[in-house]
Amino acid sequence: MAVSLRQKLVPYAYIAPAMGITVVFSVVSMGISFYASFHDYDAFVGASAFVGLDNYRRALLEPDSYFWLSMRNTMFYVAMSVVGVLITALPLALVCQRIRKGQALFRTLYFLPSITPGVVLALVFFHIFGIWGGLLDSAATALPALAILGVWSGAGYNMVIFLAGLADIPQHLYDAAKVDGANRWHQFRHITIPMLRNTLVFVTVMTIISAFQVFTSVYIMTNGGPERSTEVITFTIFINAFSIAGQMGFASAAAWLLFAVIFVFVFIQMRIFKSRNVYDG
Amino acid sequence: MVVIPRSIYRIFIGIMALALIMAIFWRAGMTRGWVEALRETEPRPIQLRIWDWWSPSSNEEFGDYFAAVKETFERRNPDVEVIYQTVPFANYVQKLSTAMVGRTPPDLFQSSGFWSEGLYQRGMLRPLNDLISKDPVHSDGSRLDEAAFLPTAWQHNHTQDGVVFGMPMIIDASCLVWNLDILEQAAKQDEDIRDMFVRHPDGSVDYDHIRFEAVKDWDHFRRIVKKLTTYTPDGEVDQAGYTIQAYGAVGLLPHWLATNGARFQDMAGTRAMFDSPAGIETMHFISRLYWEDRVSSSFRRELTPADRFQEGKSACIPAGTYSGKTIIRNTMGWTHFGKTAFPPGPQGQGQKTVTWGNMMVISNRSTNVEAAWRYIKFVCSLEGNLLRLKHLGYNGPRLDFYETEQWRQAMAERPYLSNVKQICLAGDKLRHTEITAADHQANPIIETILLQYPDMVNGQGPYPSVEAAMHEAARNVNKVYDRYNRQVKQWKRQTP
Repeated sequence: MAVSLRQKLVPYAYIAPAMGITVVFSVVSMGISFYASFHDYDAFVGASAFVGLDNYRRALLEPDSYFWLSMRNTMFYVAMSVVGVLITALPLALVCQRIRKGQALFRTLYFLPSITPGVVLALVFFHIFGIWGGLLDSAATALPALAILGVWSGAGYNMVIFLAGLADIPQHLYDAAKVDGANRWHQFRHITIPMLRNTLVFVTVMTIISAFQVFTSVYIMTNGGPERSTEVITFTIFINAFSIAGQMGFASAAAWLLFAVIFVFVFIQMRIFKSRNVYDG
Repeated sequence: MVVIPRSIYRIFIGIMALALIMAIFWRAGMTRGWVEALRETEPRPIQLRIWDWWSPSSNEEFGDYFAAVKETFERRNPDVEVIYQTVPFANYVQKLSTAMVGRTPPDLFQSSGFWSEGLYQRGMLRPLNDLISKDPVHSDGSRLDEAAFLPTAWQHNHTQDGVVFGMPMIIDASCLVWNLDILEQAAKQDEDIRDMFVRHPDGSVDYDHIRFEAVKDWDHFRRIVKKLTTYTPDGEVDQAGYTIQAYGAVGLLPHWLATNGARFQDMAGTRAMFDSPAGIETMHFISRLYWEDRVSSSFRRELTPADRFQEGKSACIPAGTYSGKTIIRNTMGWTHFGKTAFPPGPQGQGQKTVTWGNMMVISNRSTNVEAAWRYIKFVCSLEGNLLRLKHLGYNGPRLDFYETEQWRQAMAERPYLSNVKQICLAGDKLRHTEITAADHQANPIIETILLQYPDMVNGQGPYPSVEAAMHEAARNVNKVYDRYNRQVKQWKRQTP
């Protein structure tokens, strides 16, 4: 049956508002940011001189740009966050799954930090870490302290993702394993982990992406200190973009470099997700 | 027995709840706009848009202040309607840029000394020289030119070649805030501390007033604050003589630099000067207060000097002259305190500090310049200064302000104000060029010196010495100034 032109256009009309918002607030602003990264750019004065790749050169090569220092701090934070999330969220999900009564209550409790505003969490933990012997006062402990907050606030969300993944594992696999004499550890090692592979990859990649973008806790709790030990890349970008005159171009260049790094991880995620079924063959 | 129908009861409860909400709104000053909107009949020809980070809805005092200014100004200027728009301090410059680019700028706004010079250099502010020379007198007879203001208030609002871009409205200075209860207790046994207080005409000690020159020099300051420090049995500082905060330490450098004849930067904003020999000597002095004299409790990010002071755990802290009202509010009036400037160092002369100021400025895209100037004349006149004293308790930047009966009365009611004029007069100009960028470069290094001073002195820290660290910080700040000055030149070429 022939489909009229009008019928063909209707779906596009439905998605047009969302598409318009995406184009204006994402595509256009990203385009401006890309354009700004090749210029001396100030929010009020606008673009002045075209500087080519100079902003990228400054970010990558000049020591006072602090790009590499903040990138190194960010990498440490990402590593701590990923490990922290995996060793908290998955056990929480396993425990929660076994609870017969009140599972919804525990799920809600663990999920609460994820829906609490980051500023509130940062202010609360600012004082908690102060009481715990000044974790934010030393260059050696400040970044791990921020990672603890990141893990704590993200564990509940990731636990829910793991719970969903666990619910998808067919019970008959465990029953068959039990018949074959597998103990709890064997079941976990040979059924749960392989069957959760896609969930694990998803959680890991999403944690990496959000950890690369950590900002609120740094801004509220340490302002990049002490001794630049918590100066992460988004903080460097923010300071240059909004607090220093005429550095929007440099900040945009740093933001695009961050995009490039995150893109690599997204690319890896897409490659891994190509094979979705674990026991295909 | 009369039974009230359920529906009547519900309506009664509803009316009571509504009345309660309205009372809260009215008391908070939030109905003022509605009442004024009802009162207005004819729209006025000029709508004067004014931006401020102070807000009529902050509290009753600010509500009353803005209401008084608006009511008085509009009564005298029937062609102008004043429209206040509140913008948070943290986003001020960003939102200002956006508004100007978007062709919706305010006509005038309160500008912090923190940004004013930068805003002018970016072409956002209208020079005021022609307005000042043409029409410098407000209706109360007070003038609005350099001669009318404290010299230290007039140092923030113009370029080196004399372009005035703002009219001083507020002046603040760094100062030492002393807990007079702790001092009085110590003064009973100690002549040196007793001498810090003003004497009554009969020679007895006036424990309400600390002398402006209570502390003679750095050595005297060290002696005094050591005497005021007490320790717990295990050797921890219990009551600090003076509290030092390492985090954000660059903020405590400028006033101590001023006491030793040094500066953070040159007036032209072209080079850092805090690594001069006098500057390095200052850094050693501050660090030794903490590490050798042990007059300060441990560095803790979550506890500011103000927190320690308000807990009664510090005899002296650095703060701003504006801080009195906050201390009174936070301690419910229980803390008895006084203020002085900072004592001179070996290379310095006399009591010193640094000042900064807020000013009224006109946007260079304002279409109501003449009305904006009328407003500036009003709020920056003696009358405007006295309104701020009455409603907000602020001291003013005008010379004639300090001769008024109202100021004398304020000093009698709040003795901590008694040295404020002298403190403000003793101020060098606070660092003023690209402050955030300069701080971003200098602060981590200054912080490192304070946190690792013993290692640095022994050559085991991240820098070979304190001198080397200060030079490194200055080099980095110089790069900021170089880049910024190149940009300013470029902007000037772009602006017709």
